[in-house]
Amino acid sequence: MNDETELLTNYIRTETGYAGDIDPDEDLIEVGILDSFSIVSLTMFAQEQFRVEFEGEELVRENIAKLSTLVALIRQKQSSADT
Amino acid sequence: MQFESLQNSWQRAIGPFKEFGAIAGALYAADQVLRRLSPRMGIYVYELMVQPIGGKKLLPANLAKNLTFAEIGRGHPAIDLMPARPEIKIARFDQGAICLGVFRREKLIGYAWFCFNTYEEDEVRCTYALAVPDQSVFDFDFYILPEHRMGIGFLAVWHGANEYLRARDIRYTFSRLTRFNVASRRAHAHLGWKCVGKALFFQAWRVELMLATLAPFIFFSWSEKSRPRFQLWPDKLLAQDVGQVGDMR
Repeated sequence: MNDETELLTNYIRTETGYAGDIDPDEDLIEVGILDSFSIVSLTMFAQEQFRVEFEGEELVRENIAKLSTLVALIRQKQSSADT
Repeated sequence: MQFESLQNSWQRAIGPFKEFGAIAGALYAADQVLRRLSPRMGIYVYELMVQPIGGKKLLPANLAKNLTFAEIGRGHPAIDLMPARPEIKIARFDQGAICLGVFRREKLIGYAWFCFNTYEEDEVRCTYALAVPDQSVFDFDFYILPEHRMGIGFLAVWHGANEYLRARDIRYTFSRLTRFNVASRRAHAHLGWKCVGKALFFQAWRVELMLATLAPFIFFSWSEKSRPRFQLWPDKLLAQDVGQVGDMR
């Protein structure tokens, strides 16, 4: 598990109390770990933690419902900020 | 095969009790039975909620970028995107309700309706009256278009609504939630809502029997002209510790 995924996983566990395994490729809304509000809290946490700024249009289910796609979005933002 | 079928029936039967709890589950089951007997019978269970309109913005500036909000009046093309029946929408405008739409790059994300003095409920016969209308509103039919759910749609519409209401010095918004809408209750709990009362309506053709935890407590109605009236006092209601307190984050 990479650093970003681990940090996000810990945040989800703290915020939701969920103690089970979290697969980075699992749709966290579909399995009921996150809801429409907590998923936004997670992205706000990611913004602060990884010093990136998302656009409202990017925060759609296909980008944020799985940890793997959220981490990909974070990295994409970080690399575009570096260039 | 027969065992599986029995197991499925059992799961369906106990599902509402697991989801809503014993009393609400029993009411839900009774409602389903009544509706099968006749579409003109049913049970409505409402929770009356109040939410303070806080000074804090719900979305950070970068996420609120490209969001605009505006009143949607009669004849606006966005009206046709709303799933409520046309006669219901006309009745809402007729009673002075305002529809606030939230748009991203001019595309509708969602909307909410507000009444500034009284709201005439459209599912059952009942009137919600705001005791301090210059500080409070009644909101209803808060709707996010399906393609904007599970993103920031819910918060974006509340962000717009809060800005709109704050600009009018509104401090409280009242609403009624259907007890059986678990997703809506969970979502609103995040925004700091408090349950200030509960009401149950039994409907059979023209007859309605209302039981509530707020005055007038019991009401029997048999015509359009006889409607129970709930007087909603913001400060008094916020001071009461009835129901659960939401988590304001």
